[in-house]
Amino acid sequence: MWIYEKKLEYPVRIKNPNPRMAKYIITQYGGPDGELAASLRYLSQRYHMPIPEAKAVLNDIGTEESAP
Amino acid sequence: MNHTRTDNAGKELLDQIRAIEFMTVDLNLYLDTHPNDCRAMNEYNCYVRQLQALKREYEMQYGPLANFGNAMSTCPWRWIEEPWPWEEGI
Repeated sequence: MWIYEKKLEYPVRIKNPNPRMAKYIITQYGGPDGELAASLRYLSQRYHMPIPEAKAVLNDIGTEESAP
Repeated sequence: MNHTRTDNAGKELLDQIRAIEFMTVDLNLYLDTHPNDCRAMNEYNCYVRQLQALKREYEMQYGPLANFGNAMSTCPWRWIEEPWPWEEGI
């Protein structure tokens, strides 16, 4: 079960809106090589881990990586 | 849209929460692969205690920081209050 935290990990202050930059950033998050895809890979790789340390680290990195 | 969820004091509190949470995330990931490092674990527990206190303080004034039973609300239901993090960058 995922819990949503109603705050950002790091605060964002947009001084000058920049659509082109926004497109790059949104691709970094949701694009084919983005964090969202990476997080889901971590979360499915965790099912194949043989030791507790590896299960935990993939679970936790997958969780952290999916934070928007 | 009503963008009034936090004032300056709230933002400052939130910055403290973020700073401590950064420590707990990092120590958590470290401990996942170093589960016998008791010194790091004590440090982790210490940050957890601080984090819980700060979150309680924040939530009493500015509303719940987490959903699904992780924080109480006053009436009316405060979870739907704007701005959301993607709207105002809090």
